[in-house]
Amino acid sequence: MTSFSEVTAERQIKSGPLSHVSVELGHLYMEDFQAGPDRLRRQFAAVAPWLETVRRSWQSRTPGGRARISTCFLIDDYFSRFSTPSELVPMILTAAAENDLVIDYLARESACAEADGVKLAKLVEDRLVPDPPPGTRGWRPPTHETGWLANGTRSPVAGSGQAMKTAVRWEAPTQNAKRGHSIFVDVELWNDDSRGRTWSCPFLAAVWQLLRLGLLRNEGQLPVQPVAVDGGFPTSWDNLPPVVKLNSSATPFSAYTTLSVLSTRFLQVELAVRTILSQVSVDEEVLKQVLSRSSDEDLRLEEELVDRISYVFL
Amino acid sequence: MLIMGEVRTGLLQNSAEIEERDHQAVLGLLAGERVRMSRRPIVYAVSPDLLTGVDCRLPSASRARIRGVGTVVSRSSITGGRVLQGSSYVRVTRGEVNYRLPWSHYLARPGVVEVLGKVSGPDVADGFLAFGAPGEHLDLGSVSDRFMDVVQESPVLDLRAPFRSNRTRLRWVAETGEPGVHFTLGEGQERTLKVTHQGEFSPAVVDLCEDLALHDWLLTTLLTIVQRARIGGASRPEVSARLAPAVDTLLHLWMPGARIHPSLAALWESLERTPGFSRQWQSLVERIRDQLAVNTLALLRETNG
Amino acid sequence: MLVFAISDKGGTGRSVTSSNIVYRRALQGQDVCYLDFDFGSPTVGAIFRVSTASRGTTKGGMHRYLEGEIPEPTRIDVWTESDRDAIRAKPAGAGQMVLLPGDEGGGEFATFDGEMLKRCVRLFAGLHEQFDLIMVDLSAGRSFAAHLALAATAQLPRIPARWLVFHRWTRQHIIAANGLVRGDHGLLDVGVEHGHDRDALIDRIRFVRTAVLELGSGDFAHLRPAQRSWLNEIDRELRELATRHGVGLTTMLGKVPLDPVLQWREQLISDDDVAGTEIANPETVFAFDDLAKKIVDDTAWEGL
Ligand SMILES: Nc1ncnc2c1ncn2[C@@H]1O[C@H](COP(=O)(O)OP(=O)(O)OP(=O)(O)O)[C@@H](O)[C@H]1O
Ligand SMILES: [Mg+2]
Repeated sequence: MTSFSEVTAERQIKSGPLSHVSVELGHLYMEDFQAGPDRLRRQFAAVAPWLETVRRSWQSRTPGGRARISTCFLIDDYFSRFSTPSELVPMILTAAAENDLVIDYLARESACAEADGVKLAKLVEDRLVPDPPPGTRGWRPPTHETGWLANGTRSPVAGSGQAMKTAVRWEAPTQNAKRGHSIFVDVELWNDDSRGRTWSCPFLAAVWQLLRLGLLRNEGQLPVQPVAVDGGFPTSWDNLPPVVKLNSSATPFSAYTTLSVLSTRFLQVELAVRTILSQVSVDEEVLKQVLSRSSDEDLRLEEELVDRISYVFL
Repeated sequence: MLIMGEVRTGLLQNSAEIEERDHQAVLGLLAGERVRMSRRPIVYAVSPDLLTGVDCRLPSASRARIRGVGTVVSRSSITGGRVLQGSSYVRVTRGEVNYRLPWSHYLARPGVVEVLGKVSGPDVADGFLAFGAPGEHLDLGSVSDRFMDVVQESPVLDLRAPFRSNRTRLRWVAETGEPGVHFTLGEGQERTLKVTHQGEFSPAVVDLCEDLALHDWLLTTLLTIVQRARIGGASRPEVSARLAPAVDTLLHLWMPGARIHPSLAALWESLERTPGFSRQWQSLVERIRDQLAVNTLALLRETNG
Repeated sequence: MLVFAISDKGGTGRSVTSSNIVYRRALQGQDVCYLDFDFGSPTVGAIFRVSTASRGTTKGGMHRYLEGEIPEPTRIDVWTESDRDAIRAKPAGAGQMVLLPGDEGGGEFATFDGEMLKRCVRLFAGLHEQFDLIMVDLSAGRSFAAHLALAATAQLPRIPARWLVFHRWTRQHIIAANGLVRGDHGLLDVGVEHGHDRDALIDRIRFVRTAVLELGSGDFAHLRPAQRSWLNEIDRELRELATRHGVGLTTMLGKVPLDPVLQWREQLISDDDVAGTEIANPETVFAFDDLAKKIVDDTAWEGL
């Protein structure tokens, strides 16, 4: 466009390096920590063979077996804070090493809300395009403004309505893309109170997936660069970089695909995560970059985002 | 198969032109994305593209039941710090299956509405351009309206616009073919535009439709102001006072074709021949200038008396 | 500007007076619209003599809009759609006059939720873009319509809003009008609950007396002296009562005399009704005209 040649911000979208797969070796919440280091050791022991399987499967798919696999581990410092990085991180690393696992990257959950001054959760919130129930003509404001996101039509609410009109009767909720019967999912994305907004665990987990897929940009820039920590881990979570690079020879943090090895207690959360992710519209330019990179490597990526995410539940 | 859209145009609700630096706050509808701006020949700023999911009947001249699922692309823009537009469009295509797929399928095709079942492009286009009852079908105009409303709600604006005005509604359809445009002025605020362009559809076609909507709004609004000024009917100072906001706010905004891709410039030119937008604008402007000049002279004569 | 017409009691002349104010304002060259927020009885079309909306519209009106069923409520251009020739003859220089009726068969709402409030806010903001005067006829008494209006205006602090409380010149009406404003769960209480500043809101409320008998006028020539002095005494008492209840002259925006035409029929009084057929009184039109000017005249609304 002629007139846009002088446009202040002709869009420039940075592209970042990508591994083939980002494997999440676990999530650590307060209750895991309280259960003691044994629980962590057992978790890692269970994860190790799966990581090996993933490695072999990707090696067979890549020329020369040069599969780029990065591993990561997430610690909750958003919903509850416990211990300190200087105490906790070495404990995690030891437990992993005992099982011959290398953790390449360590991330703080609060980084998914905000990292290095960038409000990542807000970036994702603004990119939600809710799954429209049949009859949606586009003029109603999106339903997720209420802080809830569903995969279908909710039951009608009784109570309002006009005087002397037939009262609203109960109807079943329905899934928009149902085949026969519905599996209706309604996810709380956040709640607001006097202290401000608290993002829900599934919402932050959705941000986490998008980060690992390298699909987020802030004003064209890649948010959250993994940083190495020299000279020991800090004594406060706030002083720990959002994503720490623990292994100097690790392949890139973000990847074409993700695999999360999780306890089955995360099943519901991950169903919610997929409900959210299937309603996030990622920037077209970013998607194109990733596609062209992958096709340069002779790799066929799934077209839909949720199909690039997989799990092992233990 | 068919591309159709609706542009709504109105006055930004602020007493003065908004400053260049305010555009980001007003049009920044998507976190992490900057508002794009160009300054010449006139300040123009546009929000990032936004998507809205739809699953509803599509308009149809033959009243066929056509169900479409997909996303609408919309954006808001401000020209000259004064005129606000909300613009939405979709590309209607035939879906591969006759049932609704998971939402992620449609999200992977932004701006596309897939029809479940059979559909005829011209039938949908004619139904769309007929401006049926609001609310029954895919309602691109209301989507555009919503994107104007979010801008007007911005706390940056003082809501003290210099005059009251209507939003115009321009519906357009675009197809590939021998280049041509056909513009019709409907009842009230409704207008339609049929564009045929060479080669593949590109967003430059949307720019053309928005530019035309902008100038049609300027013309419509100026006409109303002149009519309401009751030249010859009301007293001279009254007439001058009624014309003043038009002079202050609108006259310098006329820049037809300023943002049009060269490949589409010929289409604008043909609109300048018929209906001849600039001709009508020019004659209105001269009428206003004459009136103000005469009134000033009369005023001078009285004071020198 | 948003103007809300409200009254504690029904049948005060709220709709007829506010319709005529709107009509006068349009004749004065302003763009005006009239919203029927009397949800339980959407009949305002009758006053404008728009037969397609005399009992509300079937094409989707205020009810369906607020319930989120349609993207925008139906608008009726009174100048073209009124059945009265005198109204259809739009004078040069007159402004737009648009009616936004309720739905035929629509009822009072039992409550309103956040979504409905948002739609109401959006409606007011959109109309403010287009109209100089937005007259909103609310249901009588403490109603969801009034509640909704207070909540919506609290969210639109940048759009000037004014409240007209209509009442008749009787003891019961004076006490009721005051109660509606200052009483428990009255306009002020509910307004404050939704974020209005009490003092600022008080300054935006004025009273309008309807169907007032002017004691000095010729109507009373036939009265016996005893009757006349009794009426004078009552009037004096009412004035005292009004002052005590904050409904006195200082808070009164205007009054409309009792008019023979309006007593028999709810309608707009055209200039022809006064100058042509002479069925209506010139004082009535004068009062409407005066009110139409005063609602936008800031000096009439200075803080008390
Ligand atoms: N100035 C007047 N002189 C004589 N009659 C009047 C006057 N103003 C209104 N009326 C009459 O009073 C009656 C009630 O008026 P209107 O319907 O406007 O009241 P309202 O307050 O809107 O009532 P409701 O609460 O039922 O909506 C009508 O018959 C009307 O014509
Ligand atoms: Mg009434």
